[in-house]
Amino acid sequence: MNEHDDLDMLAAEFVLGTLDSRERALVEQRRQQEPELEALIELWQQRLAPLGDEVQDIVPGPGLLARIEQRIETLENGTQQPTTSTREEDNRVVALHKRLRFWQWSTGLTSAAALVLVGVLLAQILQPSTPQSFVAVFQQNDQQPAFMLTVDLESRQLQVQAVTAEPLSGQSYQLWIKEPSLGPKPHSVGVLTDDMRLQSTALQEYDPDLLRNATFGISVEPEGGSPTGQPTGPAIHGYLYSTADEDGQHSL
Amino acid sequence: MTDASGSSAARQDAPSRSAPTADIARLNDLLQRVAHKDRDAFALLYATTSAKLFGTVLRILSNKGLQNHRGLAEDIVQEAYVNIWQKAAQFDARKASPITWLVTIARHGAIDYLRRQPASQPEGDDVLNQTASSDPGAQAHLEHQQDAQRLYQCLDELERDRREMVRLAYLDGWSRADLATQFNQPVNTIKTWLHRALKQLKGCLSS
Repeated sequence: MNEHDDLDMLAAEFVLGTLDSRERALVEQRRQQEPELEALIELWQQRLAPLGDEVQDIVPGPGLLARIEQRIETLENGTQQPTTSTREEDNRVVALHKRLRFWQWSTGLTSAAALVLVGVLLAQILQPSTPQSFVAVFQQNDQQPAFMLTVDLESRQLQVQAVTAEPLSGQSYQLWIKEPSLGPKPHSVGVLTDDMRLQSTALQEYDPDLLRNATFGISVEPEGGSPTGQPTGPAIHGYLYSTADEDGQHSL
Repeated sequence: MTDASGSSAARQDAPSRSAPTADIARLNDLLQRVAHKDRDAFALLYATTSAKLFGTVLRILSNKGLQNHRGLAEDIVQEAYVNIWQKAAQFDARKASPITWLVTIARHGAIDYLRRQPASQPEGDDVLNQTASSDPGAQAHLEHQQDAQRLYQCLDELERDRREMVRLAYLDGWSRADLATQFNQPVNTIKTWLHRALKQLKGCLSS
């Protein structure tokens, strides 16, 4: 066993896929700087590639190309870093912080017309029993929760609950979603009905992974919804709320 | 040491590996256009190759006890095509066949994902049987392809356990630890066996 053999076996196992996460990361790094390693990897790819021919072709879901194109669009416009479904938990909180601030900044220059402003954050609840269930709490004026939004990622069903928020005469509450792949601006999810509800299928068109990374906001708009297609009022605060444990409320 | 001589021959052979020449030429052309940010070419490339990439990723994520592994597979394929869009200019038709290049990006995405997960045991026996029983049909299908035939001949020369290890790792994304459990051996032994199998395979392929 000499050095070249070791390098060749590293390349072989990298291609085979049996290295652990740390070793794989190291190889990814080294191959950029080591032409010999890169060449060995390419050779192993060629050697083993015919094995892949026996894998059965399976057509992915019909919306995938559109999602990919949307993602590329976002990246090309340089709006946000890509997010991945495998982000570490620690980073997730930081990212939520960032998204919250982003949301605040982007809506922070307010029109005087807005009456009640609601900040929001969608929290990923790491709850083993119901891992697909997420709750966002919308706080009003730093005092009490105004709305609670529950999203089931599996079925993409949402439920909005008014906690202390009251219907407003001549005005409407509107729910917004914001996520890097949708572009820099919030998108309207829908205008709440007079009895403070929203169609449970309003998020149906969004991919669960996107929902997991999204920020939500509720603003007060003229009756029937924002005339501009963008929130006309700012979001002030957001609080993470975890149902996983009693101390799970993270003040941002 | 056979690398220096084996290298150039293998490279020249690469583009004729897995598909008829016309398909390869078409994929090469599409990739070249994608490198120039041609979105129509990208959509065509996706239409031509996404079932292959999705099938590859789905198989790797299958039987790992993952929730919604189909959704995960779509996420990984999505990232793969974003990568393909960004890196198309780096594709070198002299070094690899286009389909191998594309599949490799998706495969690595899937394996990287698996390796970052806390260890979970694949559902062993079923997978093993399924993998073993998928051999004959697939092999018959590939008979006209010289490289594939040669690889299968060389795989056949390996001891049965070692052949299975290579297949389970490459096709089903099994880690050393997964293999250690399945074959009831310490991880270091598995590593040694894998290295022997790979060296034997390499020797056979270059003979």
